[in-house]
Amino acid sequence: MKELKILYLYPDMLELYGDYGNIQVLKYRIESRGYIAIIDRYSIGDTAPNFNDYDIVFAGGGADNEQSILAEDLIKYKKNIKEAIQNGVFFLLICGAYQLFGKYYKGADGKIIPGLEIFDYYTEANLDRKKRCIGNIVIETKLNGFNTKIIGFENHGGQTFDISNPFGKVLFGNGNKFGDSEEGFFKNNIIATYLHGPLLSKNPELADFIIKYCLDRKYDENIALTPLNDKFENLCKEQLLNSFLKEDRT
Amino acid sequence: MKNFFIILEMKILNIILKIFHKHGGNFLGKIAFDKNPEIFKYFKVNCPVIAVSATNGKTMTNNCIGYTLKKAGYKVVSNVEGNNMETGILSTILKNCTLTGKIKADFLVFEVDESYIPVVFKDFRLDTLVILNFFRDQLDRNGEVESLILRINEFLKTYTGQLVLNNDDPNVARLGQANPENSNIYYFSVDKYDFATEKIKEAGEGKFCPFCKTKLEYEYYQYSHIGKFKCPNCNFGNNEIYRTATNINLKNRSFDIKNVTYNIKGNSIYLIYNYTAAISVCILYNISENIIKDSLSSFALNNGRLEELEINGTPTIINLAKNPTGSNVSLRILNEDEDKKELLFVLNDNLADGFDVSWIWDINFDTLNNVSRIITSGTRAYDIAIRIKTSGFPAEKIEPYLDLKEAINNLYKTDIKKYVIANYTALQPTRKELRQFGGKK
Repeated sequence: MKELKILYLYPDMLELYGDYGNIQVLKYRIESRGYIAIIDRYSIGDTAPNFNDYDIVFAGGGADNEQSILAEDLIKYKKNIKEAIQNGVFFLLICGAYQLFGKYYKGADGKIIPGLEIFDYYTEANLDRKKRCIGNIVIETKLNGFNTKIIGFENHGGQTFDISNPFGKVLFGNGNKFGDSEEGFFKNNIIATYLHGPLLSKNPELADFIIKYCLDRKYDENIALTPLNDKFENLCKEQLLNSFLKEDRT
Repeated sequence: MKNFFIILEMKILNIILKIFHKHGGNFLGKIAFDKNPEIFKYFKVNCPVIAVSATNGKTMTNNCIGYTLKKAGYKVVSNVEGNNMETGILSTILKNCTLTGKIKADFLVFEVDESYIPVVFKDFRLDTLVILNFFRDQLDRNGEVESLILRINEFLKTYTGQLVLNNDDPNVARLGQANPENSNIYYFSVDKYDFATEKIKEAGEGKFCPFCKTKLEYEYYQYSHIGKFKCPNCNFGNNEIYRTATNINLKNRSFDIKNVTYNIKGNSIYLIYNYTAAISVCILYNISENIIKDSLSSFALNNGRLEELEINGTPTIINLAKNPTGSNVSLRILNEDEDKKELLFVLNDNLADGFDVSWIWDINFDTLNNVSRIITSGTRAYDIAIRIKTSGFPAEKIEPYLDLKEAINNLYKTDIKKYVIANYTALQPTRKELRQFGGKK
């Protein structure tokens, strides 16, 4: 039976905004189609994983304090992670994890947390800690050539600069910076974004895009995923798009 | 003189509000505070002031302390309606003081929002502060739990009054060390209950020692991160306990403290914590155990906090849950009940709830015990339906309705026992609709 292996990074530290839900949605949508989902967790102190052994690598957002502790740990795997990205392993990185894959994160106190420098973007905290990009957000991205609206919730003080390939165009909300027109980073097998929600719970087509990509890559074929009953998801999306895009709720 | 006139004005305003049957809430306090942000300094208090703070359980514990002190014959002034920010507390004071700022009472008992402790008690007398717990709560409004704790810790550095702390929450117990000069620290604890687990079952905070950053070791978890913990490196957590609840029996709704058995209304582990805190405070003020025992046997909030009703003959239990831990303890009660039941979950995302509903993914819906159907409602009825479906509960047994009336009509199509969980702004509309459906006013 076909299986997908997911590596869940720092589940005990990057767990603030319900991002774990993304893992649950992936598992649900993989298993509902009769495939096997294997989820391995890695955190500080565990045996070093080989990122190449996985189909999906996931990491979420956490508290500021924890972010700097794990940045030091993650940097040990820089070479291995770069290799896995080149090999086509899918990386889904939310919020804090998104920032860590860039050049650096500069805190409000001026302290710099070095990133993995895998991508060219960098993040600087807003100097006023109380001012954060907080709220519902809708962006538009292209998945397999089709324009797709993606819904989420952003809550970040960090302002991310120098994005070469944004994840989407902002239709409602802030994005990479206050009042930005672009959100996140999306290049081939990498999606890095500020969207919580959890992201995949609101956007099943994105979850399926990732699952199909991974199955096709692993088994070298063009799989047509069995449609699932997405009645609740569709109703939810319709309701929220209506509410966010038609009336300005700030 | 300025404050004299502010109070006079507020007294007149209060009379006008009363004529129009308006309750006021934070209103009087808001106006007075805007006129003079230092007005708290003006009041003359000659009686003990007790304050209760926590993420969950403030209203229950505050009201239980006030209720018991009244039973003991004292005059108590308290914000029993739950207006717990500086403006709400100020409103309560303004309604109960003389024009010269004297408050005539034997005790002032206030529930205080966690972030307003330093604001209110910077310039106001405080004799006893009770802190129950800290959980993640509306992150988009309140921010991270750690920054909140640090603010309270800062306030406590110069506080020398009595501090009643939950020793089973590492983030609360750590506050006992904020001021090494303060010897008036009283820790309370609750013995292991039947459904305690070895591993953490629900989302929680406080995994690392706040003093030496070592991973904390737990003997057991009662719920969320509340349980018996210790730092293996610096021994943090190993405090002398003032009062411990033992023989926890949720089925019989009873527990013991120092050979006295307390019978209570309600059957949840978190209630035992609230009541142990309330008992500790009352004992500190020399209230006799007989009076406390009598008080606890009749105390109930009946405002949607574990409220038990019969709707057209069907037993219905309603509980407020505004954050993951509130929801998880509600589901604990449901899972500890062997009867067949149906669940209604009402989830709103109004301003007072926080717009972010991602916290529902921190609710543990795995292995629901004997639940035959789940109905969801509120402005985010679909979000919670997706959450429950993804946990493995069959989608065909989940019915989402944006309209609350429709949800309740469908809920009572069967006469199976009901559990109702509603978040902050959903609670009162849900209670109202339930009563209307049941034909009560």
